[in-house]
Amino acid sequence: MDLIGELRVLWVAVIAYVLAGSIAIIGVLLKKRPERTVLGLMALGLVCHTAAIALRWQRLEHGPFVTMFEILSSNVWSLMLAFAIAYWRLPAIRPVAAIVMPILFTMMGWLMTVSPGETHLPPTYHTVWLFIHIGFGKVFLGATLVAVGLSGVILVRREGSSEGRFSRLPESDRLSELSYRCMAIGFVFETLMLIAGAIWAQDAWGRYWDWDPLETWAFITWLIVGISLHARLTFNLSPRLGAWLVLGVFVAAFLTFFGVPFVSNTPHQGAV
Amino acid sequence: MLRAGSALASLRLTLGVFIFLGLSIMLAYFNEVRTSPWLVLSLSMLAINLLAAIATNQHFRRQLPLMCFHLALLAIVLLIALGRLTYFKGRAEVVDGEEFTGQFVDTEAGPWHPLGAAEARFTNLGTRIVYAPGPVRLGTENHVAWVDENGVLQRAVIGDHNPLIRHHYRFYANWNKGFALMFGWQPKQGAPLLGSVNLPSYPANALQQARQWSLPGNAEPIWAALHFDDQPVPEAGGEFHLPEHYTVVVRQGSQRWELAGEPGTGDIELPGGRLSYLGLRTWMGYQVAWDRTMPWLLAASLTAVLALAWHFWQKFSGRSWNA
Repeated sequence: MDLIGELRVLWVAVIAYVLAGSIAIIGVLLKKRPERTVLGLMALGLVCHTAAIALRWQRLEHGPFVTMFEILSSNVWSLMLAFAIAYWRLPAIRPVAAIVMPILFTMMGWLMTVSPGETHLPPTYHTVWLFIHIGFGKVFLGATLVAVGLSGVILVRREGSSEGRFSRLPESDRLSELSYRCMAIGFVFETLMLIAGAIWAQDAWGRYWDWDPLETWAFITWLIVGISLHARLTFNLSPRLGAWLVLGVFVAAFLTFFGVPFVSNTPHQGAV
Repeated sequence: MLRAGSALASLRLTLGVFIFLGLSIMLAYFNEVRTSPWLVLSLSMLAINLLAAIATNQHFRRQLPLMCFHLALLAIVLLIALGRLTYFKGRAEVVDGEEFTGQFVDTEAGPWHPLGAAEARFTNLGTRIVYAPGPVRLGTENHVAWVDENGVLQRAVIGDHNPLIRHHYRFYANWNKGFALMFGWQPKQGAPLLGSVNLPSYPANALQQARQWSLPGNAEPIWAALHFDDQPVPEAGGEFHLPEHYTVVVRQGSQRWELAGEPGTGDIELPGGRLSYLGLRTWMGYQVAWDRTMPWLLAASLTAVLALAWHFWQKFSGRSWNA
Protein backbone atom coordinates (compact mmCIF):
# COMPACT_ATOMS: atom_id res chain seq x y z
CA MET A 1 0.00 0.00 0.00
CA ASP A 2 1.27 3.51 -0.82
CA LEU A 3 1.49 6.63 1.34
CA ILE A 4 -2.10 7.69 0.60
CA GLY A 5 -3.44 4.31 1.69
CA GLU A 6 -1.33 4.44 4.86
CA LEU A 7 -2.62 7.94 5.68
CA ARG A 8 -6.23 6.84 5.15
CA VAL A 9 -5.80 4.06 7.70
CA LEU A 10 -4.13 6.54 10.07
CA TRP A 11 -7.05 8.96 9.68
CA VAL A 12 -9.49 6.18 10.62
CA ALA A 13 -7.38 5.57 13.74
CA VAL A 14 -7.33 9.27 14.66
CA ILE A 15 -11.10 9.58 14.15
CA ALA A 16 -11.63 6.55 16.41
CA TYR A 17 -9.36 8.09 19.09
CA VAL A 18 -11.14 11.46 18.85
CA LEU A 19 -14.55 9.81 19.14
CA ALA A 20 -13.35 7.77 22.13
CA GLY A 21 -11.95 10.87 23.84
CA SER A 22 -14.98 13.03 23.07
CA ILE A 23 -17.42 10.38 24.36
CA ALA A 24 -15.28 9.97 27.50
CA ILE A 25 -15.33 13.74 28.13
CA ILE A 26 -19.10 13.97 27.50
CA GLY A 27 -19.57 10.97 29.80
CA VAL A 28 -17.75 12.79 32.61
CA LEU A 29 -19.66 16.03 31.99
CA LEU A 30 -23.06 14.27 31.92
CA LYS A 31 -22.07 11.76 34.62
CA LYS A 32 -22.75 8.87 32.25
CA ARG A 33 -20.61 5.75 31.87
CA PRO A 34 -20.12 4.95 28.17
CA GLU A 35 -16.98 3.00 29.11
CA ARG A 36 -17.45 0.00 26.83
CA THR A 37 -17.92 2.28 23.81
CA VAL A 38 -14.85 4.32 24.75
CA LEU A 39 -12.73 1.20 25.22
CA GLY A 40 -14.02 -0.28 21.95
CA LEU A 41 -13.17 2.89 20.02
CA MET A 42 -9.73 3.05 21.62
CA ALA A 43 -9.13 -0.57 20.59
CA LEU A 44 -10.37 0.14 17.04
CA GLY A 45 -8.08 3.17 16.84
CA LEU A 46 -5.12 1.15 18.07
CA VAL A 47 -5.75 -1.65 15.55
CA CYS A 48 -5.95 0.85 12.66
CA HIS A 49 -2.95 2.82 13.95
CA THR A 50 -0.91 -0.39 14.28
CA ALA A 51 -1.85 -1.24 10.69
CA ALA A 52 -0.81 2.24 9.47
CA ILE A 53 2.57 1.96 11.22
CA ALA A 54 3.06 -1.60 9.92
CA LEU A 55 2.26 -0.53 6.35
CA ARG A 56 4.79 2.30 6.53
CA TRP A 57 7.36 0.00 8.12
CA GLN A 58 6.90 -2.55 5.32
CA ARG A 59 7.11 0.10 2.59
CA LEU A 60 10.15 1.97 3.95
CA GLU A 61 11.83 -1.08 5.49
CA HIS A 62 12.37 0.69 8.77
CA GLY A 63 10.32 1.50 11.85
CA PRO A 64 8.79 4.87 12.79
CA PHE A 65 11.98 6.29 14.28
CA VAL A 66 13.33 9.07 12.09
CA THR A 67 11.05 11.92 11.00
CA MET A 68 8.89 14.09 13.25
CA PHE A 69 5.82 12.47 11.65
CA GLU A 70 7.07 8.98 12.53
CA ILE A 71 8.12 9.94 16.04
CA LEU A 72 4.79 11.65 16.78
CA SER A 73 2.82 8.79 15.25
CA SER A 74 4.66 6.11 17.21
CA ASN A 75 4.30 8.11 20.42
CA VAL A 76 0.59 8.74 19.96
CA TRP A 77 0.33 4.97 19.41
CA SER A 78 2.36 4.02 22.49
CA LEU A 79 0.67 6.62 24.74
CA MET A 80 -2.75 5.49 23.56
CA LEU A 81 -1.76 1.88 24.20
CA ALA A 82 -0.50 2.71 27.71
CA PHE A 83 -3.64 4.64 28.53
CA ALA A 84 -5.96 2.03 26.96
CA ILE A 85 -4.34 -0.65 29.16
CA ALA A 86 -4.80 1.57 32.24
CA TYR A 87 -8.41 2.28 31.18
CA TRP A 88 -9.10 -1.43 30.70
CA ARG A 89 -7.35 -2.76 33.82
CA LEU A 90 -8.20 0.05 36.27
CA PRO A 91 -11.97 0.65 36.02
CA ALA A 92 -11.91 2.89 39.10
CA ILE A 93 -9.96 5.62 37.34
CA ARG A 94 -11.67 5.61 33.91
CA PRO A 95 -12.99 9.20 34.12
CA VAL A 96 -9.33 10.27 34.03
CA ALA A 97 -9.76 9.92 30.23
CA ALA A 98 -11.33 13.38 30.28
CA ILE A 99 -7.93 14.79 31.29
CA VAL A 100 -5.64 12.49 29.30
CA MET A 101 -7.41 12.47 25.94
CA PRO A 102 -7.15 16.26 25.31
CA ILE A 103 -3.35 15.92 25.74
CA LEU A 104 -3.37 13.18 23.13
CA PHE A 105 -5.68 15.25 20.87
CA THR A 106 -3.00 17.96 20.86
CA MET A 107 -0.38 15.44 19.75
CA MET A 108 -2.73 14.05 17.09
CA GLY A 109 -3.37 17.56 15.78
CA TRP A 110 0.38 18.13 15.62
CA LEU A 111 0.82 14.78 13.86
CA MET A 112 -1.70 15.72 11.19
CA THR A 113 0.10 18.98 10.41
CA VAL A 114 3.62 17.60 9.86
CA SER A 115 4.83 16.21 6.58
CA PRO A 116 4.62 12.43 6.27
CA GLY A 117 7.74 12.55 4.07
CA GLU A 118 10.13 9.66 3.96
CA THR A 119 13.80 9.32 4.75
CA HIS A 120 16.45 6.66 5.27
CA LEU A 121 17.34 5.07 8.57
CA PRO A 122 20.76 6.43 9.66
CA PRO A 123 23.50 3.77 10.00
CA THR A 124 23.65 4.35 13.76
CA TYR A 125 20.04 3.12 14.01
CA HIS A 126 20.81 -0.38 12.73
CA THR A 127 20.95 -1.93 16.17
CA VAL A 128 18.71 -3.82 18.54
CA TRP A 129 19.43 -1.10 21.14
CA LEU A 130 17.22 1.23 19.10
CA PHE A 131 14.19 -0.89 20.00
CA ILE A 132 15.26 -1.44 23.61
CA HIS A 133 16.05 2.24 24.28
CA ILE A 134 12.88 3.49 22.59
CA GLY A 135 10.72 0.78 24.17
CA PHE A 136 11.82 1.76 27.68
CA GLY A 137 11.30 5.45 26.84
CA LYS A 138 7.76 4.77 25.68
CA VAL A 139 6.86 2.88 28.86
CA PHE A 140 8.27 5.79 30.89
CA LEU A 141 6.22 8.35 28.98
CA GLY A 142 3.10 6.14 29.08
CA ALA A 143 3.34 5.75 32.87
CA THR A 144 3.91 9.50 33.23
CA LEU A 145 0.82 10.23 31.10
CA VAL A 146 -1.39 8.11 33.36
CA ALA A 147 0.13 9.91 36.38
CA VAL A 148 -0.66 13.24 34.69
CA GLY A 149 -4.28 12.17 34.22
CA LEU A 150 -4.60 11.29 37.90
CA SER A 151 -2.84 14.49 38.95
CA GLY A 152 -5.03 16.54 36.62
CA VAL A 153 -8.14 15.26 38.40
CA ILE A 154 -6.62 16.23 41.78
CA LEU A 155 -5.93 19.74 40.52
CA VAL A 156 -9.33 20.16 38.84
CA ARG A 157 -11.07 18.99 42.01
CA ARG A 158 -9.34 21.69 44.01
CA GLU A 159 -10.97 24.27 41.80
CA GLY A 160 -14.24 23.13 43.30
CA SER A 161 -16.49 23.46 40.26
CA SER A 162 -15.69 20.05 38.81
CA GLU A 163 -15.65 18.08 42.01
CA GLY A 164 -19.03 16.57 41.33
CA ARG A 165 -18.06 15.43 37.86
CA PHE A 166 -15.15 13.39 39.16
CA SER A 167 -16.98 12.22 42.27
CA ARG A 168 -16.93 8.60 41.08
CA LEU A 169 -13.15 8.59 41.30
CA PRO A 170 -11.38 7.64 44.57
CA GLU A 171 -10.31 10.31 47.06
CA SER A 172 -7.44 12.59 46.11
CA ASP A 173 -5.08 10.85 48.57
CA ARG A 174 -5.68 7.57 46.78
CA LEU A 175 -5.28 9.19 43.35
CA SER A 176 -2.03 10.72 44.55
CA GLU A 177 -0.81 7.31 45.71
CA LEU A 178 -1.70 5.79 42.31
CA SER A 179 0.03 8.64 40.57
CA TYR A 180 3.11 7.97 42.76
CA ARG A 181 3.03 4.32 41.64
CA CYS A 182 2.93 5.39 37.99
CA MET A 183 5.86 7.75 38.56
CA ALA A 184 7.77 4.92 40.28
CA ILE A 185 7.21 2.70 37.23
CA GLY A 186 8.23 5.62 35.05
CA PHE A 187 11.40 6.13 37.10
CA VAL A 188 12.45 2.49 36.69
CA PHE A 189 11.86 2.60 32.94
CA GLU A 190 13.52 5.98 32.49
CA THR A 191 16.58 4.57 34.28
CA LEU A 192 16.51 1.60 31.92
CA MET A 193 16.12 3.97 28.96
CA LEU A 194 19.22 5.92 30.05
CA ILE A 195 21.25 2.69 30.47
CA ALA A 196 20.16 1.33 27.08
CA GLY A 197 20.84 4.73 25.51
CA ALA A 198 24.35 4.79 26.98
CA ILE A 199 25.08 1.32 25.55
CA TRP A 200 23.77 2.43 22.18
CA ALA A 201 25.80 5.67 22.26
CA GLN A 202 28.95 3.70 23.08
CA ASP A 203 28.28 1.46 20.10
CA ALA A 204 27.37 4.23 17.72
CA TRP A 205 29.72 7.07 18.63
CA GLY A 206 32.35 5.53 20.86
CA ARG A 207 31.22 7.28 24.04
CA TYR A 208 28.48 6.38 26.48
CA TRP A 209 27.86 9.92 27.63
CA ASP A 210 28.77 13.26 26.08
CA TRP A 211 26.42 15.85 27.58
CA ASP A 212 24.72 16.38 24.24
CA PRO A 213 21.38 18.24 24.51
CA LEU A 214 19.19 15.16 24.47
CA GLU A 215 21.34 13.27 26.97
CA THR A 216 21.48 16.28 29.26
CA TRP A 217 17.72 16.86 29.17
CA ALA A 218 16.97 13.17 29.61
CA PHE A 219 19.20 13.20 32.71
CA ILE A 220 17.58 16.39 33.99
CA THR A 221 14.17 14.72 33.57
CA TRP A 222 15.47 11.69 35.51
CA LEU A 223 16.69 14.04 38.23
CA ILE A 224 13.30 15.81 38.39
CA VAL A 225 11.56 12.44 38.77
CA GLY A 226 14.07 11.59 41.53
CA ILE A 227 13.41 14.95 43.22
CA SER A 228 9.63 14.47 43.03
CA LEU A 229 9.82 10.95 44.53
CA HIS A 230 12.16 12.13 47.33
CA ALA A 231 10.05 15.22 47.99
CA ARG A 232 6.98 13.05 48.61
CA LEU A 233 8.89 11.11 51.28
CA THR A 234 10.64 14.09 52.81
CA PHE A 235 7.82 16.58 53.12
CA ASN A 236 4.78 14.30 53.13
CA LEU A 237 3.40 16.44 50.30
CA SER A 238 -0.26 17.21 49.86
CA PRO A 239 -1.92 15.52 46.83
CA ARG A 240 -2.13 18.91 45.15
CA LEU A 241 1.59 19.66 45.49
CA GLY A 242 2.43 16.10 44.43
CA ALA A 243 0.22 16.64 41.38
CA TRP A 244 2.13 19.80 40.43
CA LEU A 245 5.41 17.87 40.66
CA VAL A 246 4.02 15.20 38.33
CA LEU A 247 3.04 17.92 35.85
CA GLY A 248 6.57 19.33 36.14
CA VAL A 249 8.01 15.91 35.29
CA PHE A 250 5.66 15.58 32.33
CA VAL A 251 6.57 19.01 30.96
CA ALA A 252 10.32 18.20 31.27
CA ALA A 253 9.80 14.79 29.65
CA PHE A 254 7.66 16.24 26.86
CA LEU A 255 10.27 18.89 26.05
CA THR A 256 13.00 16.25 26.12
CA PHE A 257 11.15 13.85 23.84
CA PHE A 258 9.58 16.26 21.37
CA GLY A 259 11.50 19.52 21.66
CA VAL A 260 15.22 18.94 22.15
CA PRO A 261 15.77 16.46 19.28
CA PHE A 262 14.51 19.06 16.82
CA VAL A 263 16.61 22.00 17.97
CA SER A 264 19.84 20.03 18.43
CA ASN A 265 22.47 19.61 15.72
CA THR A 266 24.34 16.75 17.37
CA PRO A 267 24.39 13.25 15.87
CA HIS A 268 22.09 12.18 18.71
CA GLN A 269 18.84 13.34 17.17
CA GLY A 270 16.56 11.20 19.26
CA ALA A 271 14.38 8.43 18.05
CA VAL A 272 11.65 8.18 20.59
CA MET B 1 28.84 13.60 66.43
CA LEU B 2 25.57 11.73 66.03
CA ARG B 3 23.79 15.05 65.53
CA ALA B 4 26.21 16.05 62.79
CA GLY B 5 25.73 12.64 61.15
CA SER B 6 21.96 13.04 61.25
CA ALA B 7 22.22 16.50 59.73
CA LEU B 8 24.40 15.16 56.93
CA ALA B 9 21.95 12.30 56.37
CA SER B 10 18.96 14.61 56.08
CA LEU B 11 16.56 14.01 53.18
CA ARG B 12 16.09 17.77 52.99
CA LEU B 13 19.81 18.04 52.30
CA THR B 14 19.39 15.34 49.61
CA LEU B 15 16.78 17.47 47.90
CA GLY B 16 18.91 20.58 48.16
CA VAL B 17 21.90 18.77 46.66
CA PHE B 18 19.68 17.34 43.91
CA ILE B 19 18.81 20.89 42.89
CA PHE B 20 22.50 21.84 43.13
CA LEU B 21 23.31 18.83 40.92
CA GLY B 22 20.71 20.01 38.39
CA LEU B 23 22.40 23.43 38.26
CA SER B 24 25.83 21.76 37.97
CA ILE B 25 24.54 19.73 35.01
CA MET B 26 23.44 22.93 33.30
CA LEU B 27 26.90 24.41 33.93
CA ALA B 28 28.56 21.26 32.53
CA TYR B 29 26.28 21.42 29.51
CA PHE B 30 27.17 25.01 28.68
CA ASN B 31 30.86 24.55 29.49
CA GLU B 32 33.53 23.00 27.29
CA VAL B 33 35.18 21.39 30.32
CA ARG B 34 32.44 18.91 31.19
CA THR B 35 33.92 17.60 34.45
CA SER B 36 33.36 20.88 36.23
CA PRO B 37 34.23 21.36 39.92
CA TRP B 38 30.52 22.02 40.56
CA LEU B 39 29.56 18.63 39.19
CA VAL B 40 32.27 16.92 41.24
CA LEU B 41 31.22 18.88 44.34
CA SER B 42 27.51 18.10 43.99
CA LEU B 43 28.13 14.38 43.38
CA SER B 44 30.55 14.27 46.34
CA MET B 45 27.93 15.93 48.56
CA LEU B 46 25.34 13.39 47.46
CA ALA B 47 27.80 10.57 48.24
CA ILE B 48 28.47 11.99 51.73
CA ASN B 49 24.73 12.47 52.31
CA LEU B 50 24.11 8.85 51.32
CA LEU B 51 26.95 7.45 53.45
CA ALA B 52 25.68 9.45 56.44
CA ALA B 53 22.15 8.10 55.85
CA ILE B 54 23.47 4.53 55.78
CA ALA B 55 25.47 5.13 58.99
CA THR B 56 22.72 6.81 60.99
CA ASN B 57 19.37 5.65 59.60
CA GLN B 58 18.41 2.19 60.81
CA HIS B 59 15.10 2.28 58.92
CA PHE B 60 16.99 2.95 55.69
CA ARG B 61 19.44 0.09 56.39
CA ARG B 62 16.58 -2.33 56.95
CA GLN B 63 15.19 -1.75 53.44
CA LEU B 64 17.59 -4.00 51.56
CA PRO B 65 16.46 -3.23 47.97
CA LEU B 66 16.52 0.51 48.60
CA MET B 67 19.99 0.18 50.17
CA CYS B 68 21.18 -1.84 47.16
CA PHE B 69 19.84 0.84 44.81
CA HIS B 70 21.61 3.65 46.64
CA LEU B 71 24.86 1.70 47.03
CA ALA B 72 24.78 0.95 43.30
CA LEU B 73 24.33 4.69 42.66
CA LEU B 74 27.35 5.33 44.88
CA ALA B 75 29.32 2.73 42.92
CA ILE B 76 28.31 4.47 39.67
CA VAL B 77 29.58 7.82 40.96
CA LEU B 78 32.91 6.25 42.05
CA LEU B 79 33.28 4.39 38.76
CA ILE B 80 32.59 7.56 36.78
CA ALA B 81 35.26 9.35 38.84
CA LEU B 82 37.73 6.51 38.17
CA GLY B 83 36.73 6.56 34.50
CA ARG B 84 37.45 10.30 34.26
CA LEU B 85 40.88 9.77 35.81
CA THR B 86 41.87 6.95 33.47
CA TYR B 87 39.94 7.47 30.22
CA PHE B 88 41.35 8.11 26.79
CA LYS B 89 39.57 9.64 23.82
CA GLY B 90 41.18 10.38 20.49
CA ARG B 91 40.77 10.79 16.78
CA ALA B 92 43.05 9.12 14.28
CA GLU B 93 43.27 9.15 10.50
CA VAL B 94 44.87 6.20 8.72
CA VAL B 95 45.53 6.16 4.98
CA ASP B 96 44.30 3.19 2.96
CA GLY B 97 47.04 0.54 3.01
CA GLU B 98 48.94 2.17 5.88
CA GLU B 99 49.44 1.12 9.49
CA PHE B 100 48.14 2.86 12.59
CA THR B 101 51.19 3.49 14.76
CA GLY B 102 49.74 5.48 17.64
CA GLN B 103 49.51 8.84 15.85
CA PHE B 104 46.41 10.86 16.67
CA VAL B 105 44.90 14.01 15.20
CA ASP B 106 43.74 14.98 18.67
CA THR B 107 43.55 13.32 22.05
CA GLU B 108 42.07 13.79 25.48
CA ALA B 109 43.01 11.63 28.47
CA GLY B 110 42.60 11.38 32.21
CA PRO B 111 45.74 11.99 34.31
CA TRP B 112 46.06 8.28 35.21
CA HIS B 113 45.66 6.90 31.71
CA PRO B 114 48.35 4.28 31.06
CA LEU B 115 49.39 5.38 27.56
CA GLY B 116 49.57 2.35 25.33
CA ALA B 117 47.81 3.27 22.11
CA ALA B 118 50.97 2.69 20.07
CA GLU B 119 50.74 -1.03 20.88
CA ALA B 120 47.30 -1.20 19.29
CA ARG B 121 48.71 -1.41 15.76
CA PHE B 122 46.58 -2.38 12.80
CA THR B 123 46.48 -1.77 9.05
CA ASN B 124 43.66 -0.04 7.22
CA LEU B 125 42.99 -2.29 4.21
CA GLY B 126 40.31 -0.10 2.67
CA THR B 127 36.80 1.16 3.18
CA ARG B 128 33.46 0.65 1.52
CA ILE B 129 30.84 3.29 2.26
CA VAL B 130 27.45 3.02 0.58
CA TYR B 131 25.14 5.99 0.13
CA ALA B 132 21.44 6.19 -0.63
CA PRO B 133 20.13 9.04 -2.85
CA GLY B 134 20.42 12.34 -1.05
CA PRO B 135 23.17 11.35 -0.44
CA VAL B 136 22.53 9.60 2.87
CA ARG B 137 25.20 7.32 4.27
CA LEU B 138 23.84 3.82 4.76
CA GLY B 139 26.82 2.18 6.40
CA THR B 140 30.59 1.90 6.64
CA GLU B 141 32.64 -1.26 6.17
CA ASN B 142 36.27 -0.77 7.00
CA HIS B 143 38.62 -3.72 6.43
CA VAL B 144 41.46 -3.96 8.90
CA ALA B 145 44.24 -6.44 9.68
CA TRP B 146 46.61 -6.86 12.61
CA VAL B 147 49.01 -9.35 14.07
CA ASP B 148 47.71 -10.74 17.34
CA GLU B 149 49.62 -11.61 20.52
CA ASN B 150 50.46 -15.06 19.08
CA GLY B 151 51.93 -13.61 15.91
CA VAL B 152 48.94 -14.66 13.80
CA LEU B 153 47.57 -12.29 11.17
CA GLN B 154 43.95 -11.40 11.89
CA ARG B 155 41.44 -9.64 9.66
CA ALA B 156 38.11 -8.01 10.44
CA VAL B 157 35.48 -5.73 8.97
CA ILE B 158 34.59 -2.93 11.34
CA GLY B 159 32.09 -0.08 11.07
CA ASP B 160 28.97 1.29 12.67
CA HIS B 161 28.28 -0.57 15.94
CA ASN B 162 31.27 -2.82 15.37
CA PRO B 163 34.56 -1.36 16.64
CA LEU B 164 38.01 -2.90 16.45
CA ILE B 165 39.18 -3.60 20.00
CA ARG B 166 42.97 -3.77 20.46
CA HIS B 167 44.58 -3.63 23.91
CA HIS B 168 41.27 -2.27 25.27
CA TYR B 169 41.35 0.63 22.78
CA ARG B 170 38.14 0.71 20.77
CA PHE B 171 38.47 2.02 17.19
CA TYR B 172 35.18 3.18 15.70
CA ALA B 173 34.98 3.75 11.94
CA ASN B 174 31.85 5.53 10.77
CA TRP B 175 31.30 8.71 8.73
CA ASN B 176 34.68 10.43 8.93
CA LYS B 177 36.89 9.84 5.89
CA GLY B 178 38.55 11.78 3.13
CA PHE B 179 41.24 11.93 0.46
CA ALA B 180 44.98 11.72 1.00
CA LEU B 181 47.60 13.12 -1.39
CA MET B 182 50.68 10.87 -1.35
CA PHE B 183 54.02 12.62 -1.74
CA GLY B 184 57.68 11.63 -1.77
CA TRP B 185 60.28 14.08 -0.51
CA GLN B 186 63.91 13.79 -1.58
CA PRO B 187 65.90 16.33 0.40
CA LYS B 188 69.18 17.62 -1.03
CA GLN B 189 70.89 15.95 1.88
CA GLY B 190 69.52 13.00 3.82
CA ALA B 191 67.20 10.06 3.33
CA PRO B 192 64.03 10.29 1.22
CA LEU B 193 60.67 10.48 2.95
CA LEU B 194 57.23 9.21 2.00
CA GLY B 195 54.11 10.73 3.46
CA SER B 196 50.51 11.67 3.00
CA VAL B 197 48.67 14.95 3.22
CA ASN B 198 45.23 14.15 4.57
CA LEU B 199 42.72 16.59 3.13
CA PRO B 200 39.74 17.66 5.27
CA SER B 201 36.93 15.15 5.78
CA TYR B 202 34.76 14.55 2.70
CA PRO B 203 31.95 15.38 1.91
CA ALA B 204 31.64 17.40 5.14
CA ASN B 205 34.27 19.81 3.76
CA ALA B 206 33.67 19.26 0.05
CA LEU B 207 34.56 22.86 -0.84
CA GLN B 208 37.74 22.97 1.23
CA GLN B 209 39.82 20.15 -0.20
CA ALA B 210 43.16 21.83 0.49
CA ARG B 211 45.79 21.74 3.20
CA GLN B 212 48.99 23.54 4.10
CA TRP B 213 52.00 21.80 5.65
CA SER B 214 55.75 22.22 6.06
CA LEU B 215 58.54 20.17 4.54
CA PRO B 216 61.78 19.57 6.45
CA GLY B 217 64.40 22.09 5.36
CA ASN B 218 61.86 24.44 3.76
CA ALA B 219 61.12 27.63 5.59
CA GLU B 220 58.08 28.44 3.53
CA PRO B 221 55.03 26.16 3.92
CA ILE B 222 53.53 24.18 1.03
CA TRP B 223 49.87 24.35 0.11
CA ALA B 224 48.12 21.63 -1.91
CA ALA B 225 44.56 21.32 -3.18
CA LEU B 226 42.58 18.63 -4.92
CA HIS B 227 40.24 19.72 -7.74
CA PHE B 228 37.73 17.42 -9.41
CA ASP B 229 34.37 17.60 -11.17
CA ASP B 230 32.88 14.15 -10.53
CA GLN B 231 30.99 13.05 -7.44
CA PRO B 232 32.98 10.74 -5.15
CA VAL B 233 29.81 10.57 -3.04
CA PRO B 234 27.12 10.15 -5.72
CA GLU B 235 24.03 12.25 -5.13
CA ALA B 236 21.90 9.55 -6.70
CA GLY B 237 23.37 6.95 -4.37
CA GLY B 238 26.26 4.54 -4.75
CA GLU B 239 29.66 3.89 -3.23
CA PHE B 240 32.17 6.46 -2.06
CA HIS B 241 35.14 6.34 -4.44
CA LEU B 242 38.21 8.25 -5.57
CA PRO B 243 37.53 10.89 -8.24
CA GLU B 244 38.35 9.51 -11.69
CA HIS B 245 39.64 12.79 -13.15
CA TYR B 246 41.30 15.29 -10.93
CA THR B 247 44.03 17.89 -10.66
CA VAL B 248 46.40 18.48 -7.78
CA VAL B 249 47.45 22.10 -7.31
CA VAL B 250 50.61 22.78 -5.29
CA ARG B 251 51.69 26.24 -4.23
CA GLN B 252 54.66 27.63 -2.39
CA GLY B 253 54.81 31.38 -2.01
CA SER B 254 54.11 32.90 -5.43
CA GLN B 255 54.96 29.70 -7.33
CA ARG B 256 52.17 27.39 -8.49
CA TRP B 257 52.23 23.91 -10.04
CA GLU B 258 49.33 21.95 -11.50
CA LEU B 259 49.68 18.16 -11.55
CA ALA B 260 47.40 16.20 -13.85
CA GLY B 261 46.13 13.62 -11.42
CA GLU B 262 48.48 10.82 -12.41
CA PRO B 263 51.22 9.51 -10.16
CA GLY B 264 54.68 10.48 -11.31
CA THR B 265 53.42 13.28 -13.57
CA GLY B 266 55.12 15.98 -11.71
CA ASP B 267 58.25 16.39 -9.72
CA ILE B 268 58.59 19.78 -8.13
CA GLU B 269 62.00 21.22 -7.44
CA LEU B 270 61.99 23.21 -4.23
CA PRO B 271 64.84 25.01 -2.44
CA GLY B 272 65.36 22.12 0.00
CA GLY B 273 64.83 19.17 -2.34
CA ARG B 274 62.42 17.47 -4.76
CA LEU B 275 58.73 16.87 -4.05
CA SER B 276 57.13 14.01 -6.04
CA TYR B 277 53.43 13.43 -6.29
CA LEU B 278 52.79 9.67 -5.89
CA GLY B 279 49.03 9.34 -6.12
CA LEU B 280 45.67 9.75 -4.45
CA ARG B 281 44.23 7.48 -1.77
CA THR B 282 41.57 7.69 0.91
CA TRP B 283 42.01 7.97 4.64
CA MET B 284 39.67 6.56 7.27
CA GLY B 285 38.91 8.42 10.46
CA TYR B 286 38.71 6.50 13.72
CA GLN B 287 37.11 7.60 16.94
CA VAL B 288 39.25 5.95 19.61
CA ALA B 289 38.06 5.28 23.16
CA TRP B 290 39.56 3.56 26.20
CA ASP B 291 37.62 3.20 29.42
CA ARG B 292 38.04 0.06 31.52
CA THR B 293 35.23 1.07 33.88
CA MET B 294 32.51 0.48 31.26
CA PRO B 295 31.57 -3.15 32.09
CA TRP B 296 31.56 -2.30 35.80
CA LEU B 297 29.40 0.74 35.17
CA LEU B 298 26.94 -1.40 33.28
CA ALA B 299 26.86 -3.95 36.12
CA ALA B 300 26.33 -1.22 38.73
CA SER B 301 23.60 0.43 36.62
CA LEU B 302 21.73 -2.84 36.16
CA THR B 303 22.05 -3.60 39.89
CA ALA B 304 20.62 -0.14 40.63
CA VAL B 305 17.62 -0.52 38.36
CA LEU B 306 16.85 -4.08 39.47
CA ALA B 307 17.07 -3.05 43.13
CA LEU B 308 14.80 -0.08 42.44
CA ALA B 309 12.22 -2.30 40.73
CA TRP B 310 12.46 -4.75 43.65
CA HIS B 311 11.92 -1.90 46.16
CA PHE B 312 8.84 -0.56 44.39
CA TRP B 313 7.47 -4.07 43.92
CA GLN B 314 7.72 -4.68 47.69
CA LYS B 315 6.21 -1.28 48.39
CA PHE B 316 3.20 -1.57 46.09
CA SER B 317 2.41 -5.29 45.86
CA GLY B 318 0.58 -5.26 49.21
CA ARG B 319 -2.33 -3.23 47.89
CA SER B 320 -4.20 -3.75 44.61
CA TRP B 321 -4.33 -0.92 42.08
CA ASN B 322 -8.10 -1.19 42.06
CA ALA B 323 -8.49 -1.28 45.86
